[in-house]
Amino acid sequence: MRAFIERLLSRPWFGPLGALLAVYLLFAGLRPDTFAHAGNLEMMARQTVVVAICAVGMTLIMIKGGIDLSVGSVVALTTVVVARGLQAGLSPWTAAALGVAAAASCGALNGILVAGLRITPFIVTLGTMSIMRGVAKGLAGEQKIDANAAGLDEWMAILPPEYGFLVVSPGVWLALGLSALAAGALVYTRYGRHIVAIGSNERAARLCGVPVARVTVMTYALAGVLAGMAGVMEFGTLTVGDPTDSLGLELEVIAAVVIGGGSLSGGQGSIAGSLLGALLMTVIKTGCTHVGVPNWVQEILTGVIIVVAVALDRWRQQPRQSSSAH
Amino acid sequence: MLCRVVGLACFFLSVLGACSKEPTKAGLAGDGSAAAETKALRIAVIPKGTTHEFWKAVHAGAVKASRELKVAVTYKGPLKEDDLKQQIDLVQNFTAQKVDGIVLAPLNDKALRGPVKGAKRSGIPVVVIDSALQGEDHQSFVATDNRKAGALAGERMAKLLGEKGGIIVLRYQEGSASTANREKGFIDAIGKHEGVEILSSNRYGGATTESAFKAAESLLAAQGGPDKVAGVFCPNESTTFGMLLALRKTGAAGKIKFVGFDASQKLIDGLKQKHIDALVVQDPFNMGYLGVKTMVQHLRGQSVKKLIDTGAKLVDPTNMDSPAMKQLLAPDLKRWLGE
Repeated sequence: MRAFIERLLSRPWFGPLGALLAVYLLFAGLRPDTFAHAGNLEMMARQTVVVAICAVGMTLIMIKGGIDLSVGSVVALTTVVVARGLQAGLSPWTAAALGVAAAASCGALNGILVAGLRITPFIVTLGTMSIMRGVAKGLAGEQKIDANAAGLDEWMAILPPEYGFLVVSPGVWLALGLSALAAGALVYTRYGRHIVAIGSNERAARLCGVPVARVTVMTYALAGVLAGMAGVMEFGTLTVGDPTDSLGLELEVIAAVVIGGGSLSGGQGSIAGSLLGALLMTVIKTGCTHVGVPNWVQEILTGVIIVVAVALDRWRQQPRQSSSAH
Repeated sequence: MLCRVVGLACFFLSVLGACSKEPTKAGLAGDGSAAAETKALRIAVIPKGTTHEFWKAVHAGAVKASRELKVAVTYKGPLKEDDLKQQIDLVQNFTAQKVDGIVLAPLNDKALRGPVKGAKRSGIPVVVIDSALQGEDHQSFVATDNRKAGALAGERMAKLLGEKGGIIVLRYQEGSASTANREKGFIDAIGKHEGVEILSSNRYGGATTESAFKAAESLLAAQGGPDKVAGVFCPNESTTFGMLLALRKTGAAGKIKFVGFDASQKLIDGLKQKHIDALVVQDPFNMGYLGVKTMVQHLRGQSVKKLIDTGAKLVDPTNMDSPAMKQLLAPDLKRWLGE
């Protein structure tokens, strides 16, 4: 029994799960009639989808020891590409595919610049963040683009009664499916072990024959694909292409990964933890609205919770590390 | 190990405990009297942003209505100014909370249609303020009648010119419905005065003061400056300020009759210096007030009009210091918001 508890505690997602439950129970206690309502739970899941899908890609990048600041711009660019595609008369699937392809090329570009120019990913993606935002604005003619959502909005809408068996919107299932795939790849594939190896010690990995450049480009491209899918979901929510959308999304995504046990120095992180981190932030946001906390307090509170969550997680892991060293 | 986890949980609870104390103080804009009523209506007011003067005045007006009508008003805008996604999330949030009604200033006339439909499906009525929303899912639209406001400016222009002379209109931006209506109202009103001729009305100032300034400067030069141009009209704050700068730079300020739109401190100063002859100002305080009031009337079973004009007024150097105008230009926020 004791061994079981010890094992449970050692899981990287255990800390964020505890924090999520604590915060959830707090708000549910304060507003039992509305906050704990099933409709509210479904809505919170829906509002987490975009951050969650981006966080899956960011987790892969951060485990590899990188970072991607351009993700918000890429999401905005995707909504514009999808809207432009629909405007041009493409079918919704083709338009969505086009959006994902655009985002994937942005990701690949990030990867090529990081691997090829040997510039730190922070600088590269700081640059591409601005470049992609500019491209999005140019493509949109500096305004929001109206397009017939043609069913793409259904991915993020409240389920119509006849689809009640799905329980949550298709977008939520998409996020969960992509997470499961990524988590599986991380543990069971050679690629997954390569990125952990690079993130833990890049030089050692290189000496062991890990194709660092190829894995790097692939990781950023993969994150690009995920950002593209998140962008399609964002378009489903907005139903317009908005080049100014998702400003600062990258920080929210990085926060989710870090709360979930990821480290800016690489080698650490878990998909499940990142999802819980993303959900935690949605719960705080929604809870503050339900309780009626003004915006400025909410912003302070979110920042405090990020720092405290990560600090506690590090503190929790300390004794384990020192005891394993014995 | 276990006790550390318990400690972790306790810490979170105490951190968040601080937040649970907030709402009574700052969350509910309706004060004690509203809370005292056992079944006070709960109305959410969602602006486009929270830090602009305009939205503070809307907030103050909403608070006034909440005190008069004994309802509770929750005022919450997107965390980031003008963030469409966050505004959509907020409408969904308040829908899930089952508030009694939502008063919304939509950031986009199409993107908010879905969430408003969702609110209606959940039995929550929506009153739209400030900017139009497509579709028929909202109860009422409470805003400045821009056509009328433009006509007000047109009539004043004709009067200022003594019914004769050439004028130019510097438009704001393609695709902006509210300013297009102001321009149309102005041009239609001018059309009724035969002596007044429109020299140019096809130039756009663009989104920023900078772009408006450049457009205004070249437009004035192209039309022959104060010798040929007797009057100018601009349909919003950025074009009015850009035009003011251009008039000053070319030395034409005060020589050309100038009717602008919206009020900021710099434009009021221009009015004082007689560089601007009149400004059309909207009434955001009244917009917040009537938005909430209309919602309450609807909730209490009275019929409400589909379209409600919150009115626009002309400010000029003669009336700018009157108490009524002072209230319009700088509403007493302290009284309503306690700031």
